[in-house]
Amino acid sequence: MAALKDLRDRIRSLRNTQQITKAMKQVAAAKIRRAEQAKKQARPYADTLDEMLRDLLVNVSSVDHPFMKPGRSGAPSGVILMTADKGLAGAFNANIIREAEQYRNSHSDALFYSVGIKARNAVRRLGQPDRPTWPLSAQPKISTAREVAARVTEDFDRGAISDITLVSAQMISMMVQRPYARTLVPVEPSARDEAKAQAGPRGAVEFAPSPEFVLSRLLPKYLEFTLFAAMLETDAAFFAAQLVAMNNATDNAGKLIDELTVHMNNARQAAITKELLEIVSGAEALAKA
Amino acid sequence: MAGTVPFKLITPTEVVFEGDAELVIAVGTEGEEGILPHHAPFLTALRPGVLRANKSGGNRLELATGEGFMQALPDRVTVLVDRALRFEDVNPAEARNELSAALERQKSAADPAAFAREQAIIDFANAKLRLTHH
Repeated sequence: MAALKDLRDRIRSLRNTQQITKAMKQVAAAKIRRAEQAKKQARPYADTLDEMLRDLLVNVSSVDHPFMKPGRSGAPSGVILMTADKGLAGAFNANIIREAEQYRNSHSDALFYSVGIKARNAVRRLGQPDRPTWPLSAQPKISTAREVAARVTEDFDRGAISDITLVSAQMISMMVQRPYARTLVPVEPSARDEAKAQAGPRGAVEFAPSPEFVLSRLLPKYLEFTLFAAMLETDAAFFAAQLVAMNNATDNAGKLIDELTVHMNNARQAAITKELLEIVSGAEALAKA
Repeated sequence: MAGTVPFKLITPTEVVFEGDAELVIAVGTEGEEGILPHHAPFLTALRPGVLRANKSGGNRLELATGEGFMQALPDRVTVLVDRALRFEDVNPAEARNELSAALERQKSAADPAAFAREQAIIDFANAKLRLTHH
C-alpha cells in the first residue's frame, strides 16, 4: 500500500506547484503589459532625440566633447551589466551574464557596473565585490538611469575607464529575448557618416548658440536616455521570459500529474485484484474443508 | 496671427502635451526663445524654466520644465525636457526648501560643474515658484 500513498502524495505536491507556476504566469502576463506600455510611452522621446542627434552630427564641424573622442588609452573598459532583479525566468539572466563573460574574455581588465540584483551577484562572482550597483525594478527608473549615467560619465571623464559598454537584454519577440552588447561611449565615428546618409532634405538648420554647444548638452542626455530605454526593454524581456518559463513549468507539471495518475490507478487496481483473489481463494479453501 | 503649428511637449516617460499652438516660448540657454508658426529649422538647448504656449482657442499652457531641447521646424515644434510640471503638481513649500538648500550648496560648490548642477536645481525651483505666483 505504501506505493499507492507515495504516488498520491506526489500528485498532491505537483498540483500545488502547478498552481504556483500558473499564478506566476498570470502575474508575468499582467506585468508584461505594463512594461510594454512604459516602453511605448518612451518612444516619442527616443524618436525626437534621434532626429536631433542626426541633425547635429551632420552640422557640427569639429567635435570637442569627450564622448566623441577615444577614452584614455590603457584604461580598462567600463561595462554596465543589466539583468533582472529576480530569477524564475529560464536562462534569461544567465544568457546576459554569459554575454558579459564573453566580453571579458577579450577585455580582461573590464570594470563592471551592475543594474539588477542578478547582475550584482554575477559581478561579485567575477571577483569585483565592491562595484557600484543599482536595482532594476526600483521606481522611478529614469532616476536610476540618471544616477548610473552620472557615475559612468564621471569615471570616463577622469580616465578610470576608456569606454562605456552596455550588456542588456533585447526583446526580439514575446518568445525570443537575446543578450545584447554595445558600446555607447565613445560615440562611433561611423554614427556621423550614417547620420549624413540618413539626414532628410531639411536644408540649413540654425542652432543656438552653436551646434557644438547643443551637441555637448545632448550627448549626456542621450546616454541617460539610452540607459533608461535599456532598463525598460530588459524589464519587458524579463517578464516575457518568465511568462514562457512558467508556461512550460505548468505544462510539464500537468504531464507529470497525468503520468503519475495512470501509475496510481494501475497500483490501486492491482491492489483490489489482489485482495479479491485472496478473498476468493480463502472462501474456496473454507468450502473445501 | 499667422495660424497655428502642431506642438508637442515630451518627457522620457510621457507626451505631456500634444496640440496646436499659436506661440511657444521656452527658456533657452541664451534667453527666452519665442517660436511662431512657419519658423525656419532651429534647434536649441533649454535651461530649466517656465515654458509657455498659446494654444489655439486662446487658452494658455504654462509648465515648469527641466533641462531639455527645443526643435522648431516650419511644420512642427517639439520640446524634449527631463521633467514638466503643471501648476497643480507643484508644492510651493517644497520648492522653496529646494531653492534655499541649493543656494546654500552653491556657495560651497567646489568646481564649475557642481556650480552648474546647483544652478539647474535653482532654476527649476524658481520656475515652479513662478508658476504658483499667478
